[in-house]
Amino acid sequence: MAHPSQLGFQDAASPVMEELLHFHDHTLMIVFLISTLVLYIIVAMVTTKLTNKFILDSQEIEIIWTLLPAMILILIALPSLRILYLMDEINDPHLTIKAMGHQWYWSYEYTDYEDLGFDSYMVPTQDLNPGQFRLLETDHRMVIPVDSPIRVLVSADDVLHSWAVPSLGIKMDAVPGRLNQTAFITSRPGVFYGQCSEICGANHSFMPIVVEAVPLEHFENWSSLMLEDA
Amino acid sequence: MLLTIRKQLKSHPALIPLFFFIGGGAAMSLMYLARLGLRNPDVSWDRKNNPEPWNKLSPNHQYKFFTVNMDYSKLKKDRPDF
Repeated sequence: MAHPSQLGFQDAASPVMEELLHFHDHTLMIVFLISTLVLYIIVAMVTTKLTNKFILDSQEIEIIWTLLPAMILILIALPSLRILYLMDEINDPHLTIKAMGHQWYWSYEYTDYEDLGFDSYMVPTQDLNPGQFRLLETDHRMVIPVDSPIRVLVSADDVLHSWAVPSLGIKMDAVPGRLNQTAFITSRPGVFYGQCSEICGANHSFMPIVVEAVPLEHFENWSSLMLEDA
Repeated sequence: MLLTIRKQLKSHPALIPLFFFIGGGAAMSLMYLARLGLRNPDVSWDRKNNPEPWNKLSPNHQYKFFTVNMDYSKLKKDRPDF
């Protein structure tokens, strides 16, 4: 989850998010270097008493300041495109889960083997237990086995929503009448929080998403329990 | 026209990188359009011999230009043939 006054990304829980983190570090460093250079030049230009009225053109520096930015852009574009194609690869998921957005809660359907479906409402602030996170906890979490590729089909029942979990690097719009596919694999067990990311009415800020990654036996126990309860 | 360009390039060599990158960008855009027209399964140029190319999709055809981690030819094809 996010921490108060946090500036950077949340810790990555999936390989794709790790790639995104490293790419962001790489690109931000380039941006900082260029901005520092520009700021220095501005200060130097503004605070000098020298003037030069006789330079008309210079082919050499023009070549340099065309080639160098082009190289920098290529250095940014190549990793970016690689991650873009990486994010689109769906490699043989072990489980398919349907996440349906409603006003104002999510419902998850695990229909690969049995018919498991449940709703996931936010826990109201007055019902929170000590240690739980305000506006982020839900009554039922989307439990998945850790280290397994999972496919999530996102759609909506009424208006636009968006299923987003930042630490997994996922955001997928939930469009009524449309199935959007996304896939991920969690590299570590844990609880990962996200919030609805497309304005959907009065309680848009109050329909969070909680993904819980557990070892396979725990997942199997959980799904048997949920099936009994239903 | 090309001769004029070459003459001007000799006195202004700074234009060479410009031609290279703009030309490269234009070439890449044209190649993308050509790929769309020829490889996109939604496009049919010959309605008699290739009427519905979107019905000829195989489960391990690679639709994307570039794969990082996946070898689509090695995908299992565990679905019925029609």
